[in-house]
Amino acid sequence: MNTSLLAIPILLPIAGAAIGLLLPRNSRTQSIAGIATFAGTLVAALWILWSISQVGFLKLELGSWQAPFGISLVADKLAAAMVAISSLVGLAISIYALGDLSQELRKRWFYPLSLFLVAAVNGAFLSADLFNLYVWFEIMLISSFGLMLLGGGKNQFEGGFKYVAINLVASALFLAGLGLLYGKIGTLNMADIALKLSVSPGGPMINSSAVFFLVAFAIKAGMFPFFFWLPASYHTPPISVSALFAGLLTKVGVYALIRSNTLIFTQEADFLRGVLVALSLATMFTGVLGAAAQFDIKRILSFHIISQIGYMTLGLAVFTELAIAAAIFYTLHHIIVKTNLFLIAGIVSKKTGTDDLSAIGGLYKAAPWLALLFFIPAFSLGGIPPLSGFWAKFALVKESLDQSFYWATAIALIVGIMTLFSMTKIWAEAFWKKSPGLFKISKLTQRETWTLYGPVAAFSAITLIIGLNAQPLFEFSSEAAAQLLSPNQYIEFALPAEYVTSIRLQSVQEIALNATVTP
Amino acid sequence: MLIPLSILLSLFSAALASPLVKRCSNWAPYILAAVPAGLFLAYAFLVGDISFANTLQYQQPWVPGLNVAFDFQVDGLSLLFLLMITGIGAFILIYAGGYLSKDVKTRTRFYTYMFLFMVGMIGLVSADNLVLLFIFWELTSISSYLLIGFDNENKESRKKALQALLVTGTGGVALLAGFILLGNTAGSYRLSEIIAQGEALATHPLGTAALILILLGAFTKSAQFPFHFWLPNAMAAPTPVSAYLHSATMVKAGIFLLFKLSPVFASHPIWTASLIGCGAITLLLGTISGIFQRDLKRILAFTTMAVLGLLTMLIGIGGELALKSALLFMLGHALYKATLFMTAGNIDHGTGTRDARILGGLRTLMPYTAVAAGLAALSKGGFPPLAGFLGKEYVYKTSSTIDVAAPYITVIALIGNALLLALAFKAGIHPYWSKAVSTVEGKSYSKFLPHKPHEANAAMLAGPLILAIGGLVFGLLPQSVTASLIQPALSAATNTSTEITLSLWHGFSLPLILSITTLIAGITIYWCRETFWKREAFAQEIAQRDTENIYEFIFTQFVRKSKEVTRTIQNGSLRSYLWTIILAAGALVGFKIISLGAIPYSINLESLHLFHYVLIVGLVIAVGFAAFASSLLKALAGLGLLGYGVAIIFATNGAPDLAITQIIVETLAVGLLLFAALRLPAFRKLSSNRNRILDTILASSCGLVAFYMALKASAIELSPTISNQFVEWSYVLAKGKNVVNVTLVDFRALDTFGEIAVIGIAAIGVCICLPVTNLRYLPSAGLSKSIIFSTGARILLPLCIALSVISLYRGHNEPGGGFIGGLICAAGFTLYAFARGTVEALRRLRFTPIQWIAGGLLIALASACFGPIVGKPFMTGLWLPGFELPILGTVHLGTPLLFDVGVYAVVVGFAAQVTFSFLDSSINATSSAPKQDPCSKLTQTATACK
Amino acid sequence: MEFLVSLLIGILVAASVYCILRRSIIKFVIGIAFLSQAVNLLVFTTGGISQAAPPIIQADQTTIIGEHADPLPQALVLTAIVIGFGLLVFTLALAQRATQAAGTDDLEAFRNTEQ
Repeated sequence: MNTSLLAIPILLPIAGAAIGLLLPRNSRTQSIAGIATFAGTLVAALWILWSISQVGFLKLELGSWQAPFGISLVADKLAAAMVAISSLVGLAISIYALGDLSQELRKRWFYPLSLFLVAAVNGAFLSADLFNLYVWFEIMLISSFGLMLLGGGKNQFEGGFKYVAINLVASALFLAGLGLLYGKIGTLNMADIALKLSVSPGGPMINSSAVFFLVAFAIKAGMFPFFFWLPASYHTPPISVSALFAGLLTKVGVYALIRSNTLIFTQEADFLRGVLVALSLATMFTGVLGAAAQFDIKRILSFHIISQIGYMTLGLAVFTELAIAAAIFYTLHHIIVKTNLFLIAGIVSKKTGTDDLSAIGGLYKAAPWLALLFFIPAFSLGGIPPLSGFWAKFALVKESLDQSFYWATAIALIVGIMTLFSMTKIWAEAFWKKSPGLFKISKLTQRETWTLYGPVAAFSAITLIIGLNAQPLFEFSSEAAAQLLSPNQYIEFALPAEYVTSIRLQSVQEIALNATVTP
Repeated sequence: MLIPLSILLSLFSAALASPLVKRCSNWAPYILAAVPAGLFLAYAFLVGDISFANTLQYQQPWVPGLNVAFDFQVDGLSLLFLLMITGIGAFILIYAGGYLSKDVKTRTRFYTYMFLFMVGMIGLVSADNLVLLFIFWELTSISSYLLIGFDNENKESRKKALQALLVTGTGGVALLAGFILLGNTAGSYRLSEIIAQGEALATHPLGTAALILILLGAFTKSAQFPFHFWLPNAMAAPTPVSAYLHSATMVKAGIFLLFKLSPVFASHPIWTASLIGCGAITLLLGTISGIFQRDLKRILAFTTMAVLGLLTMLIGIGGELALKSALLFMLGHALYKATLFMTAGNIDHGTGTRDARILGGLRTLMPYTAVAAGLAALSKGGFPPLAGFLGKEYVYKTSSTIDVAAPYITVIALIGNALLLALAFKAGIHPYWSKAVSTVEGKSYSKFLPHKPHEANAAMLAGPLILAIGGLVFGLLPQSVTASLIQPALSAATNTSTEITLSLWHGFSLPLILSITTLIAGITIYWCRETFWKREAFAQEIAQRDTENIYEFIFTQFVRKSKEVTRTIQNGSLRSYLWTIILAAGALVGFKIISLGAIPYSINLESLHLFHYVLIVGLVIAVGFAAFASSLLKALAGLGLLGYGVAIIFATNGAPDLAITQIIVETLAVGLLLFAALRLPAFRKLSSNRNRILDTILASSCGLVAFYMALKASAIELSPTISNQFVEWSYVLAKGKNVVNVTLVDFRALDTFGEIAVIGIAAIGVCICLPVTNLRYLPSAGLSKSIIFSTGARILLPLCIALSVISLYRGHNEPGGGFIGGLICAAGFTLYAFARGTVEALRRLRFTPIQWIAGGLLIALASACFGPIVGKPFMTGLWLPGFELPILGTVHLGTPLLFDVGVYAVVVGFAAQVTFSFLDSSINATSSAPKQDPCSKLTQTATACK
Repeated sequence: MEFLVSLLIGILVAASVYCILRRSIIKFVIGIAFLSQAVNLLVFTTGGISQAAPPIIQADQTTIIGEHADPLPQALVLTAIVIGFGLLVFTLALAQRATQAAGTDDLEAFRNTEQ
């Protein structure tokens, strides 16, 4: 097949965004253009996913400059899956926005910015070049800044500033790490870096710059003790935006952590992995504490993002095939579930006019279907079988126990109960409790009902399906993990064969040379 | 096939329940009840076929990757439970039909949840895969949560539901961990295979851990001390639920698990000790606290607890006899307890109260209920010839024959049974046969009752009567009926094929004497029930010392601590956030640096001239100036100097493009900061000196780390750079002599594309932050107003444009390019706007800046798309053959040039947008109403801060 | 030269850390400006710098003759400068607006989103 397809999930949304900026500023035109572009992106993404499942890897050398000299896009199973799911989330939210966002916001910037964001996210997943990854991170960042301020409430600017501030530091760290790495290894293509590190005796010398990447990605992923930007800001923008962020942004950080730690920083990595275990546990624990402390739906959900990230990174830290498979499964499941929960929170606050649980109530009676639609993702997040979250947790716990990470397992399980607790808090307060009558529960219009419930229902259905038939997704995750754990596969695919052999040959000669010189 | 079928059938009914109930709310319960009834018959036919040798099996893969499969196995034990679940379930559904309010909505949910629970229970007792079993286990917890909280608008029932969920849920996760450990030690998740391995597993080092975790699960589920407290509280649920979940079935899930795993762990000391210990305590605690209760349902709840304790104790004792008696006792209990609950419900329904103390003489008013309750009470009391008697006989048989601690066990059993009898009479005899109380607390009895007592309807009588009679049958036909159920169950529980004989009459033996003692003692206790009721205070005493307090403590502490911790971590201060982040990052990097040890580096200063030193020193001074300046203007001056200095560094190190870019960017940045400054308050000292010192320390250590890292990075070279290839290709393949520019527009075009996207979006971001108001910038006074300046700007604009186009074109071969060109052009427009107002400038710009950006992006994209058209990847450089032009000489037109045009357009749009926005906003600042003017607010807040 | 530039980088980093920890919002923006300067210089130097000729192919040549600077870090830094500039401008606008919204430029007073 034509590998140019690989660039479509990146270039198409950007084109759509640019066209949207040129089109007349009326909500109808903008919405149609936006949704159409997202739909196209999803189609391309699914096509890529399909062909990946056939061939395993895809590569596109942009400008036909052969790797490692040009920039190339490489998709393995993980990348393809992430692209597909992020495009799906994009489409869902572009539809949800019809009912959620005011005409004004749909007229101005929502669709272009969200398209830029998804393009950047896809770019980050597909790029095989470290500096290019940095560029995508920046696009993601700046477009998320714009979205974060959409609507322009006082709190948005306050929270937004913290979000911006901390993320700017993160980008600086990333770029610094890049500079340091390039200074030592003289190349940017990730496969090339991995190759040269694998053959050069001084591989561990880059571990100090590896820490820069670790921290930068950890900030993006919202890990302890770097997550402060998330609870400060995620609950302020319109729910469509929050949901988009909740689904995608932190996961890009997780993806970057997985990619860099499986491909590049694999030598003498015990230190990094040790740090990762500690941070993961702290992350899941502090996150869930934060959730328990809150009484506002959006804030509870925001803290849960953090707590769940801990599970994904723990999977990476345990670093066996099954563990990484669990991490991938967890990430995919969490994107669906968390986005869905935010979308539902949006419906709740639309119906009741508030996010404050003490003011909400009586939805069990007033909106039984919403209750059902909430119950599925909420208890999936709580890890209740047989919903998707259970399989994610089970796989992770099983493997951590097999690898005798007993403490990690214990904490993961306890945090699981705490998660369940705060989910039941929302359930009991918003749905079971009698409405305190501060706000009368309003009916949604026909249009709102379709556009808001459509994506929610779809996501809940997906959660249910993954739960009842976990094997396909789990199998896929395992295959993806297998790919990640054999970096040479990636290297030999991403780089021309003769180049690889020549590099390896050189190193052999050098070593031979040193051997002769030293005595 | 039968198992998955019945599970699917129940699931189907769960889904079907609500439409059915909506359609015909009167008949729905009975139609639905047909499902478990049918299943009951189906399983009843299996009795006799199922034996130790012959079990019903079904296998179907589910998630092989995690070795989870739909493995089901129905052995005798499962069958016994299945019969109880379906049989009692059917009657409960019928009963609910009569009992529940007519509010259709609540009923639809009720049946859905009941069927979900039934699914959970059926799966739990017949699963042959540990994880599968766990999944159904959790399903029962969740449906129980939903049912306890059924009266969802009542705060108490919500609270109790959560309590039950958290207790059983915590046990659940322990159970999961235990199962995983057990599975790993056994090398299989198949329950049958694990049991087949027998006691070998218990000796495995991980076996003990697995055992403890599994016991946690079983004890929480079956309300064993110290996790018992949730069960009495679960009585918040509607009576049918209590009758079904919290007496007959769900609470026995833990018991089932203990039965099931006893072949594996029976010999393990922890198993024996904890089961006997906790069982005994639970038995006594349940009965003793029950004796003081007046609420019929609470009385029954405590007896349930007690019986569960007794069963646990028996399983702990182990051996064929103990297990046999446990099974018998459980069977009897299931029958009479369900009956008693339902009759209690009838009383509640008929009289409006469940207060045993004021009830009495209902015999005549509710005859059928009375009969059922009486029979059940006698069975529970252990009177021959009822099933309960059988159970009790064997309990005594066991207790009198075990080798260790027989007397203690016997005494405990005796006390327990006696109290159970008393409790049974309180619940089943007293309300009907004792004389009606004439007055209670002054009010007369009849007045006290909410409404006149009346007999329950047929639906609510069917269950109790039949189940009560069932108790009689099992008692009368021990060998033919009872044994046929117990024997296969026993052989499953002991994992050995067994033959058993049951009989009511064992001749004059110790058990009989004990039974008689029990009767006498029990009846005496019952006789002085009033005295106990008067001492309710004592019950309170027990309650206050109950483990529930520990739960409450943990719960409240958790919530409180979580609030505190979160307030400290997420405290809202950006400074502390940055501190934490920088400190953590610094610590990690520092640790790595130290652990890697020193790197060889020789400072060679030969190549340096005085100029370099001067430059750096100057820059350092500029930095200090900017950082510690007392006023914004000084700071900006420092910043500008720094920028130009860096530009010089670039220029002197062979990077002209960088130098030019740096200069333009720096100028623009400082200019914008200047405009922004108009809206921002003057510098003032906010931080305390302590903070300043701390920050200085952190800052300088970060500086050190950065310095070291920079040196290290430039010292180490593990492999040569790839960019030599660029130099090779630049002209030959990419038709450009300025390798940097070629790299930007060709080798690494995607980066540049991303970069222009970034600035384009940044422009949008600026629009969002500084929305256009009707106030637009116009030169008001001073330089910007002067004629010379405005005419100058007018003349400069075309010059700038021309210059920019040239630099755009030549950029491919010499310093310059789309970005620099764009900036030059934008600079022209900025000057023009400054001199003649933004509106005027916008007019000259033809399109809005955003349109420039969008257009530029599309041009760049278009240039990228030529590749695929000719079957090459995106962004492949394609060139027309060069041709001669008068002035320009040989002209090469190609997609990279087009791409650069796109860059140019975006940069123009971006620069124009931001400069115009800042110009406009600066106007808003100076001439907007004081209400929006931040400066006036600032004075207030500044004072407020102090 | 690396040595001196590394020194400058260190000082820039120190200055930026100090500035972003200040409470006044504009100081923070200045700190960010320092930071991007520092990082750009870092990328520029670690590539190995020399006072060699710029990487431009001489007239009527097909490849550079003699010593020349490494073009790749230059391209990276150019991209980084531009991106950094974009972010800086946005941050500035945001700072201006946030000050207006919060009614103060004291970052310690920005706590409404976390109460």
